[in-house]
Amino acid sequence: MVFNYSLLFLVKPIARYQRVKVYRLNDDGKWDDQGTGHVTVDYLEMIAYVIIQRSEELALFVFDEEDNETLLSHRISPDDIYRKQEDTIISWRDSEYCTDLALSFQENTGCSYIWEHICKVQRNMHFNSLNHETFHTMNNELRELPAVELSTLPIILKIVTESSLADQMQLTALILNDQAFFQKLMKLFRICEDLENVDGLHMIFKIVKGIIMLNSPQVFEKIFGDELIIDIIGSLEYDPFVPQVQQYRKFLKEHAVFKEVIPFKNPVVLSKIHQTYRVGYLKDVVLARVLDEATVASLNSIIHSNNAIVISLLKDDSTFIQELFARLRSPTTSAESKKNLVYFLHEFCSLSKSLQMGQQLPIFRDLMNEGIVDIITDALQSEDKKIVLMGTDILILFLNQDPSLLRSYVVRQEENLLLGLLVKGMITDFGEDMHCQFLEILRSLLDSVTFTGAQRDTIVETFYEKHLGQLIDVIILSCPHDEASTGKLAGTAGRVESQNSTKPEILLNICELLCFCVVHHPYRIKCNFLLNNAIDKVLLLTQRREKYLVAAAVRFVRTILSRHDEHLISHFVKYSLLKSIVDAFVANGNRYNVLNSAVLELFEYIRKENLKLLVKHIVDSFWNQLVKFEHLPSLQSFKVKYKQFLENCGPETNVNAPDPRKRIDERALEKEEEDYFNEESDEEDTTSASHPQKVQSQPVLSNGVAVSCPSSRPRSGGLVDYDDEDDEDYRPPPRKQTETSEDDEGSMESLGLKRKLTPKEKEPGLAKKQRLGKSSKPRDSVFAALCSTLSQAVLPSKKTANAMHLSTQSGEENHIEKESGSPRSCDNKSPNEGNLREKESPRNCSEYLHSPSDNRQLSGEDPRSLLPSKSSPEMVVNGS
Amino acid sequence: MSDLDRQIEQLKKCEPLKESEVKALCLKAMEILVEESNVQRVDAPVTICGDIHGQFYDMKELFKVGGDCPKTNYLFLGDFVDRGFYSVETFLLLLALKVRYPDRITLIRGNHESRQITQVYGFYDECLRKYGSVNVWRYCTEIFDYLSLSALIENKIFSVHGGLSPAISTLDQIRTIDRKQEVPHDGAMCDLLWSDPEDIVDGWGLSPRGAGFLFGGSVVTSFNHTNSIDYICRAHQLVMEGYKWMFNNQIVTVWSAPNYCYRCGNVAAILELDENLNKQFRVFDAAPQESRGTPAKKPAPDYFL
Repeated sequence: MVFNYSLLFLVKPIARYQRVKVYRLNDDGKWDDQGTGHVTVDYLEMIAYVIIQRSEELALFVFDEEDNETLLSHRISPDDIYRKQEDTIISWRDSEYCTDLALSFQENTGCSYIWEHICKVQRNMHFNSLNHETFHTMNNELRELPAVELSTLPIILKIVTESSLADQMQLTALILNDQAFFQKLMKLFRICEDLENVDGLHMIFKIVKGIIMLNSPQVFEKIFGDELIIDIIGSLEYDPFVPQVQQYRKFLKEHAVFKEVIPFKNPVVLSKIHQTYRVGYLKDVVLARVLDEATVASLNSIIHSNNAIVISLLKDDSTFIQELFARLRSPTTSAESKKNLVYFLHEFCSLSKSLQMGQQLPIFRDLMNEGIVDIITDALQSEDKKIVLMGTDILILFLNQDPSLLRSYVVRQEENLLLGLLVKGMITDFGEDMHCQFLEILRSLLDSVTFTGAQRDTIVETFYEKHLGQLIDVIILSCPHDEASTGKLAGTAGRVESQNSTKPEILLNICELLCFCVVHHPYRIKCNFLLNNAIDKVLLLTQRREKYLVAAAVRFVRTILSRHDEHLISHFVKYSLLKSIVDAFVANGNRYNVLNSAVLELFEYIRKENLKLLVKHIVDSFWNQLVKFEHLPSLQSFKVKYKQFLENCGPETNVNAPDPRKRIDERALEKEEEDYFNEESDEEDTTSASHPQKVQSQPVLSNGVAVSCPSSRPRSGGLVDYDDEDDEDYRPPPRKQTETSEDDEGSMESLGLKRKLTPKEKEPGLAKKQRLGKSSKPRDSVFAALCSTLSQAVLPSKKTANAMHLSTQSGEENHIEKESGSPRSCDNKSPNEGNLREKESPRNCSEYLHSPSDNRQLSGEDPRSLLPSKSSPEMVVNGS
Repeated sequence: MSDLDRQIEQLKKCEPLKESEVKALCLKAMEILVEESNVQRVDAPVTICGDIHGQFYDMKELFKVGGDCPKTNYLFLGDFVDRGFYSVETFLLLLALKVRYPDRITLIRGNHESRQITQVYGFYDECLRKYGSVNVWRYCTEIFDYLSLSALIENKIFSVHGGLSPAISTLDQIRTIDRKQEVPHDGAMCDLLWSDPEDIVDGWGLSPRGAGFLFGGSVVTSFNHTNSIDYICRAHQLVMEGYKWMFNNQIVTVWSAPNYCYRCGNVAAILELDENLNKQFRVFDAAPQESRGTPAKKPAPDYFL
């Protein structure tokens, strides 16, 4: 079967010179005319794209010019049987037909064309068989490459694609030995392209691809040179597996635009820049699907080192940098070229990351000294939003490099213009463009965790004095509100026009920044802002239609409350600030959505943290509204907590009593033990297993299955929540977040004292039995509920969990490993854990039963900043 | 054809959207997702899918096997991004389908739908590479925060990415999680996304992953009993056969990334439930090489350096 599309030597369209008559010598010694047709040389038994396995498979075909029937198929013989007569006749003795055959050509050219090819094929067959031997008998040792010609392409392809790993080294060496190998190959490529020799092109594609896959730096150096790279990319346009020819060169020539904003005097720079782009294109587009990781890595390193070379050459070219900044500053520079200059600056900064670490900072410093921030300040004031955003992208590069660089500048700058522009940017509608980077930059400038001292104070000061009000004004103007609040805009008068149509994402960003401020500047924001009637303005967000904004407002409150600040709590109560949240919750009805969960979480938090004042306030003021949600466990327990507070109101006076747990806890533990635990927790050094406390062991059936009858299990009530406290230790945020806070201690303490009960009315009778003689308070039912679904919970102390974190490197990889290996047998656990299992599981169970959602981070801060010490293994490897 | 339909068609060709389109899509998605519950109710019939991990062309195989989206009701158990080459296209396609057919596709959160994890395992870099900035990543990770944490099919099948949490014994307790946050390092929300069932653990054990827990059969029995559910369906762990039952059919792992990381050699599966909750696993292989289109990466036409 013949596939014409893969004809090696077929020249389209069928030309007159292929026209032949076929003659056959009959028994009488006369030449019989077999018909007239067109001759081609083709593979016999063609399988598309498979290289000739045996040289004999190449054959002469003649197809009838009328019905396309095969008049002749003759396997070209390696033997010398062919005769050429009178320039138009080729004849031979055909072994298959057992007679002489002859082709009579219409034209001389046709005759010599076919004759040449017959000879070539014969030569190849000889070479190939030789080569075959070399290949297979000489211990796979590759001695030499055939001359690069059209006819040898199949052999070269075979060598390139079939060589073993050891041969690949040799092949690379051979290719490199032939100085002109690629020149010849590319010349051949151009010829094939001119002749539309598709087969040749396909072979060259495979050869070039194969050679690139050899992943040799020396080869790359050759083929990525200015002279060859375009042809190399061109040759890769002819992928036999892709139906259409690709247009890579067209893209590079017509679409890719190199913008030389300032003429580069050094030709090396120019050449490297083009090369980098083209290699990147080769990697990301041309061969993206076929490259293996190692080759990709090599190409990346070429790009990387090119970038480094370019940046180094440019940075040391002082006239270049000077000219760059002169043009950026010049009033005569057109808007268009200024835009390009800013884009260039961005690329320059971003490629500086290709330099070694030590060399990067000096560049950024130099740019700083040249006045890049002034340029960016200008850019941020541009009418063109693309330029504004490009300016912010450059700022982010500076912040990633070293935040203090930018901070020191912002401090020095007159009137802190940049800070103002950033705030303005954050509240500007960028239409369809994304502009979340403003929030990012502001956060970095205002960060108190990684950044302390006078610089920050100045920035923070300016921000609070000048800009916080602006943000609040945006909220006020964009939320439905009564007249009273419109009258007094918090910020600088008149600077914010009416923005009733403020995009919700802007409000979301403002709310997030406010949460960030609450965590990072607890004192300043409290005095200047929160206690200054600002909270209710932020809570105007609860009036918005977008539910995620309402939920964001709830989060803002939640963040403030996690400060554990008495004044603020009293403030909430005094001004009934939670009203809007309760209203929003009630208006949301029974819809179980993010808002519903956020408010319930807030209630849970207040309850678990024993924020007595708030518990009382909420029930006293809003219970008539909330009562219809009484069926929700969170609200039930809230009410229970309220009752406890009422009943326990004896000696307790302080809102944030140092140990609220004692009040509500008449569990089995002696008071002094409790104190002991509390001490422990404050020291942040608790290992649960280290406490040989009076722990009632949980009845476990002998088969190890947990008792399934829920509340029949006696609960060791009086245990302290020190697992939770460890929990706190283990959790990264609080320490850092609160470091600027004077009541750090207090807040840590109360953070530790949390998570009490999750009530659930289940078999209260049974529960009461257990509690007999201790108390008959309504809370008992809560304990019952806690016991209700105890499984045989075994929880390691978080201490051990910590150890785990340190030792495990990439837990995620266990996806795979897990299939084969088993992690840890329960029985092989550390003594600690074993101990835990036997003695402490009841407590652990119950602990975890009623600590569903305490894991909130303190606020909506960016968790990445919290990453370092105690992250999970996947996080451990995080270098960014 | 609406913009959204056009975008879906474009994404189906593995061509990413423009930054502005991503922004608009995310804002729409946010409005939809914020209304979903932490335990999202799902009606049968439904087809449950496990991890995808950016293997776009394999996800197209999944749709071939399971049927196209509005026609088939889908529940995806998270881990849409990271590791594969097409996290951006994969997540955006799923998100676009969610916005277009909110009641026909449910997306819940996996442990990889996280700012921290995606910075290490590929999604962050992919966004940076494909868009030249990480704004798209910022928007997508913001959306991750709104994804539901679990699903409950006809009150009978509890679906979650990872597994159970010692802090959660009743489904009700999941309600009081404010899920709009980065996946925490511990606690209930973390556990739901990170935990694994483990044969040799009885009760709870430390997870070698460093987050979440290992939980044994008794935990599952107790959980299923308490919440009157038939079984738990989860993903999160590679299973060579595509799915795997454990603990006497009380929990099943469904894995939908064939030839995971393009080299694990596993098959993938989805679980089809009919209206009577009858189960049928459909196992499928990685997409053949030919069906993988040319890469969608469009190089920036302008360059300065």
